[in-house]
Amino acid sequence: MIHMLLALTTPAVAQPAPDPTAATSEAELPPLVKDPALVTFVEAPYPDAARAAGVEGTVLLAIEVAETGAVTNVSVLQGTGTDLGLEAAAVEAARQFVFSPAEDATGPVPVVIEFGYGFVLDSAATNGAAPELTAPTTPEELPVNLDGQLVEMGTRRPLAGFVVRLEPLALEATTDADGRYTFRGVPAGPVTIRVVRPGFAALEQAVVVSTTELTTAKLWLRNESYASAGVIGYYRQESAEVSKRTISMEEIRRIPGTFGDPIRVVQTLPGAARTPFGTGFLVIRGSNPEDSGVYVDGIRIPYIYHIGGFESVINPDLVAAVDYLPGGFGPRYGRSTGGVVDVSTRREFPERTHVTWSTDLLDSGALVMGTVGKKNEHGFGVAARRSYVDAILPLFLDDGFVAKPSWWDYQAKYQWQGDGPDELSVLVFGFEDVLIASTPPGFAQSTDADGQGELGTKYSTHRVLVRWEHPLSESLAFHLIPSFGRDYASFNLGNSWSIVQEQWLTEIRAELPWTPNEHVKIVPGIDFVGGVSPFAVTLPFNPEQFAETDPLAEREPYVIEDVQTGWGPDLYLLTELRPLADPDRLLLTPGVRFNFVSIPGEYDIYSFDPRFAAKWEVFDGGRLKGSAGLYHQPPQPFQSYRGDELPVELGFERSISGSLGWEQDIGQAVQVEAEVFYKALDNLIVSNPDFDGLEDQFFANNGVGRAYGVEVLARHAPIGNFFGWVSYTLSRSERRDQPNEDWYPFDYDQTHIFVATGGYKLPWDIEVSAKVEYVTGNPTTPYSLGVYDVDQDSYQAFQTGAGNSERLPPYWAVSGRIDKLFTFKSWQLDIYVDLLNALHGVNPEFELYNYDYTEKSYIEGLPFIPSPGFEAKFQF
Amino acid sequence: MTPLLTLLACTTSELSESWQIDRLRVLAVAAEPAEPRPGDTVTFTSLVVSPEVEVAATIWFACLTGGDDFGCDVDPSLLEDLDPEALTSDDLEALAAAGFIGAEPFLPPVWAVPTDALDGLTPDQRREGLTALVNVTAVPDIPSPTEQDLELAYKRVPVSEAETPNHNPVITSIRVDGVEIPPGTTASLDRGQPYTIAVTLSETSVESYTFVNADGVTETRVEAPYFTWYARDGTFDRTFDLWPYADTVFYAPDAPDTENPGIWVVVRDRRGGMSWASVAVRYR
Repeated sequence: MIHMLLALTTPAVAQPAPDPTAATSEAELPPLVKDPALVTFVEAPYPDAARAAGVEGTVLLAIEVAETGAVTNVSVLQGTGTDLGLEAAAVEAARQFVFSPAEDATGPVPVVIEFGYGFVLDSAATNGAAPELTAPTTPEELPVNLDGQLVEMGTRRPLAGFVVRLEPLALEATTDADGRYTFRGVPAGPVTIRVVRPGFAALEQAVVVSTTELTTAKLWLRNESYASAGVIGYYRQESAEVSKRTISMEEIRRIPGTFGDPIRVVQTLPGAARTPFGTGFLVIRGSNPEDSGVYVDGIRIPYIYHIGGFESVINPDLVAAVDYLPGGFGPRYGRSTGGVVDVSTRREFPERTHVTWSTDLLDSGALVMGTVGKKNEHGFGVAARRSYVDAILPLFLDDGFVAKPSWWDYQAKYQWQGDGPDELSVLVFGFEDVLIASTPPGFAQSTDADGQGELGTKYSTHRVLVRWEHPLSESLAFHLIPSFGRDYASFNLGNSWSIVQEQWLTEIRAELPWTPNEHVKIVPGIDFVGGVSPFAVTLPFNPEQFAETDPLAEREPYVIEDVQTGWGPDLYLLTELRPLADPDRLLLTPGVRFNFVSIPGEYDIYSFDPRFAAKWEVFDGGRLKGSAGLYHQPPQPFQSYRGDELPVELGFERSISGSLGWEQDIGQAVQVEAEVFYKALDNLIVSNPDFDGLEDQFFANNGVGRAYGVEVLARHAPIGNFFGWVSYTLSRSERRDQPNEDWYPFDYDQTHIFVATGGYKLPWDIEVSAKVEYVTGNPTTPYSLGVYDVDQDSYQAFQTGAGNSERLPPYWAVSGRIDKLFTFKSWQLDIYVDLLNALHGVNPEFELYNYDYTEKSYIEGLPFIPSPGFEAKFQF
Repeated sequence: MTPLLTLLACTTSELSESWQIDRLRVLAVAAEPAEPRPGDTVTFTSLVVSPEVEVAATIWFACLTGGDDFGCDVDPSLLEDLDPEALTSDDLEALAAAGFIGAEPFLPPVWAVPTDALDGLTPDQRREGLTALVNVTAVPDIPSPTEQDLELAYKRVPVSEAETPNHNPVITSIRVDGVEIPPGTTASLDRGQPYTIAVTLSETSVESYTFVNADGVTETRVEAPYFTWYARDGTFDRTFDLWPYADTVFYAPDAPDTENPGIWVVVRDRRGGMSWASVAVRYR
């Protein structure tokens, strides 16, 4: 007897394919709220050649499922390696499958799923011995005397569509949506329940069946590779943002050295420069770190990293996706001339309650998520994390010396998951980072009398964010995201230095997406930000004296206490036009943004940003894309204050950028893309060369810049056992601070940025991954031969070359990671070790001169560090 | 952030440190008087140490205006062919025009403050004064020294009509583990052992003075001097102290391999006044 075993490898392994009529923007990556389920299974005939040869195997298929649930295309992702017709049989059978449609928040959507079609020869057939026992059929009138439920070990996930067989009887049943199975009229006596399914460990469980009473057996089936659960299968993504790159959290968590941090992974993608260890900067396409915006669910936040730059401020388990837009982004995003990183939090929570506990070298955290309500209509997730570096560091310090960096964060999200067209969620999150450092009494920290005392820095952010999406008609919807929050930052050194800034911010994003047909989508929107910012600055000297750098000058304490207010109701209009009969072939996205910033008493400035992007599928799998646009960025808050009655005379910094690229699919798993870009910057805010006193402005819009390069990305989606990508950026970024000065390389100009990363799933739930980096060193300015300032007790160096005319040595590092997953009935334990800088690569981060500038060396980054950690997941 | 980064980063420590005297150094320069008035004659002394080679000459320039972050702007060609032992009157005239005020050991540095130095200033500005600069170039006694072999230093000299002009601090004693070391004597230290090195200032060294702030209010302030420690070898517990702390712990080297070991301390009053002391050392 020959049995066919089907293997639906994951319950939801699809990236939503384009849905031009969806009211929800694709830029926000709506997750599926309902997975596709196999309704009609078609058994493939076992190819004679394979049967004769006794060959078994699994064919990994990519099945495209339409909004209706019909199969529109089937292709082979991974064959059996034989030429015996198994692949063709599997494809032909899968084409006749019928699924229930997948759904996102807007309704049914087309998806692509991974599907393992298994061919297994029955033992009787392969052994030749055929003790074919005669068993009665199971007519409906016979009573049920054996039933139970089949669930996945570790996750308690009901396994639907699995064949449960009784040996030696030739009886079988298929589990329903809840994983339940039933048998009628099973003869009394011992039987063996057998479940064989590719991707799962074979299960055999003996039971004794009675004809007079019901026997119930709960079956725990062990998945051979849990890591694939929930993997987003494809990157191919139609989007109005032609340069957008989307990463699945599963990949993020498996990349060595990232601590599961989404932003660190962004730094492995094209266009992102490597920033020095511990800084956590985001330098995209030659822009300043402050020129790029970081968003959580569409609302901008000031910091994405905890202190030291190791981990982001959002628990990775609550993150659904990270959109990385190095340039060419549409009018939805503004106030930035650099790039954008938008972190989307979960919109779907599991029916069962999940509890996750994570511990690594730096911190520990917990996450609880699940649903409540009769129909599980209330989804929730609550997470918190606290570092313990402040408890460990003192062990390495001498008595009396204190260094206590600490951080914590929290997130709580409520998501309405009930019936009805509306989507409603509430996200509350916040974090705080503190660093305290001090020395024993009597220990001189420097020769400066005002440089003594405890050093303290603190920054914190709290936000409440509501997201409401309401369809007004078939083609019109209303999206509203109001948020309110507080940012706080302070620095103090003893009693002489103190800077405290507080911001109470209201941010509102509202959109009215109108989709009259599948060829047109028009989205008017408003992106409002306004706030009040009290601040206080205490310095031991007048800033004018500081400019003179005279160590003998008498100092006078300088204090400013003031309140700054500002607001900016930016308006935007983005359109998505799909003019061809096949709407997926050509996408045009013209848009415009109106920028306005008012700082009462200082300035009111406005500008218009026309932007355009296009993507054209020239042939199946080959796409041409391009963008051009104008971008304006207002002055930073500290640049927008002038301590006198005169207004600040500053305007927007401006960027004109363009890009042109090609994307090529190679099979279903591999995509290669290349993109050239050019960005011209002007009105950059630099130090005012005419500054001579506090009646002058510190800053002026005198700077210009340019950045250009080519980015290449080749990636293999996490299909099968492998995922990975190779990223290479060849670029140049230059600045000129004053009109008549020479161009010089920007501080983070890196000619070559090469990153290769990948992971592979081994048997026994072991995964290995690795990352290789090679980056040109950052520019530096050469100095030598200092002249001793006897009064200052320090050397003044001669600059012996142009600014940024030399470079640090190149950075290279190889890191690895090994994960081992242990699965128990109701919980799982993932133990891992990150091998940071495993090959002891040379990684100079900063230049360091000796006291008189006659010797030079480097501060190096991390040495080889094995960083262990674990994550325990419980499901109830 | 710095402590965290320092701990986690792998910082190279191959660079020479300021406290260790392993080359020709100018450690201090004192003007007398420390805060002259227009028309005063100012003499200068310096603490120049050179453990490996002798110091051939110390050349001095002064300027009232025209200086920058590197001291007086002196034309280097003036010194290229200069032989301090055979200066002619023409040489001296050209040098004097450029601000030359001395070349030790042949011509002790002396600067006459121009009598019109504060002309054109208001009475308040004259009390506040202005700052002159003095350049010091130490030349090692080696054949054909290059620019890299020279040690360049500069100092500010406040010129004013202040009611409470500054004076140089005075170190009255230097002690090793509480035992005063008279000038010219050598302290014998056991290898690898710690010793407390301390100095005492005279009672008048930490001065009170008046200062008119930006609001026109006269304040009485007290100096806050600091001490910088140097050694030929060994190590220090800390290499500087802020008044009233004036001591450090010196760890004698386990295996000294330097010639002429010693310990030096310089005190600065942050108003331009300074002074120094030293201890010659022998290791047992």
